[in-house]
Amino acid sequence: MTPNLPETDDELLIRMRSGDEQAFVALYRGRQAAIYRFALHMSGSATVAEDVAQEVFLALIREECGFDPQRGTLSGYLFGIARKLVLRHLERGRPDVALETDLESSALPELVVNDDPLADLIDREGIEALRRSVLALPRRYREVVVLCDLEEVDYGEAAFVLGCPIGTVRSRLHRARALLLEKLSQRWQHRPGAMALKPIRCLI
Amino acid sequence: MPELAHQAEDGRLDHVRECPACAALLNRQRNLALGLRRLAADWRSVEAPARLESKLTAAFLGQAGLTVLGPPARWWVPLATWAAAAAAMLALAMFLVRDRQVAPAHRTISNRVQLAAVEPPADLDMLGDSANVEGDFIPLPNAARIEPNEDLNLVRVEVPRSAMIALGYAVSEDRASEPVEAEVVLGADGLARAVRFFE
Repeated sequence: MTPNLPETDDELLIRMRSGDEQAFVALYRGRQAAIYRFALHMSGSATVAEDVAQEVFLALIREECGFDPQRGTLSGYLFGIARKLVLRHLERGRPDVALETDLESSALPELVVNDDPLADLIDREGIEALRRSVLALPRRYREVVVLCDLEEVDYGEAAFVLGCPIGTVRSRLHRARALLLEKLSQRWQHRPGAMALKPIRCLI
Repeated sequence: MPELAHQAEDGRLDHVRECPACAALLNRQRNLALGLRRLAADWRSVEAPARLESKLTAAFLGQAGLTVLGPPARWWVPLATWAAAAAAMLALAMFLVRDRQVAPAHRTISNRVQLAAVEPPADLDMLGDSANVEGDFIPLPNAARIEPNEDLNLVRVEVPRSAMIALGYAVSEDRASEPVEAEVVLGADGLARAVRFFE
């Protein structure tokens, strides 16, 4: 008996292009959340994220951007469109570093409280501070953190999405994490009773 | 995660144990990694609003209806369209060639210009030689010489009195804008050759 394997994106895409509604729905359900979250993390706006997700799948429906399976995955292709749309929005209406969000607290997931003494960031306040720090990163660093750390896209696919070498992805990620630590350190320093942290430097 | 974590895994923990600064940095990097993982996990349930799926499905069905589910293309439709257009053009050309008679040259004369005479007046004979112009017809400056037997037309027009100044008449300033009747001799080429004014 042959196991009923799920269809690949390419197979679904072929069926979708022949007018199969179920194939489109399957593709949409499989990819929409990641695209929506990417746009939400990048823009900080639920409205923008919804618009971006809509435009991404409309582009897929209209075959406007000419997806070629030989050049990359469907996931990377969709992230690429979403990135361009988000950047267009950021360039049009907002400064590079987004400081305000229109996220309602009800739209945010419930966070789990953890007692781990090492994990200062794992309480609700810490995670929210981390999210805000990611949102406040310069765009080029924000997008690698969102793709690689939050959406767990591998470096190769991230390089395809960003249109740059893998080495650039790695270096931006390294710099982005350093910036996040810096931002979070500032936050810790401003907490009541916190010890002032001095800049550390060690040649090892 | 950042380099210190890798270095620690590479067996360089000894240094981290001895260096409080590096230990603190490693600890913070680990915290950041944990925080990012937790943020990703907590947001995993976040997805686009349900209304978007129905909107996009409707858009997909609309698009599929236009491109895939539409009627098969009929190759003869454009051909028939072009054939009908060509036939209409041909019929129009036949109508124009057969039924239209050659009309005499039509002069458009404004309400201020009237054809004074089909035949030139007798006193135009003197214009055969502009050097011998007599009477009240005045050869226009730089106008071509009127050839013998040239077909001439005479038109009567109304022009501002100020036009007379260019031909040497004295015109008072307060009457310069008044109209004055004039007859203009037109050559076969349609250009003015001479003019006379009527007071």
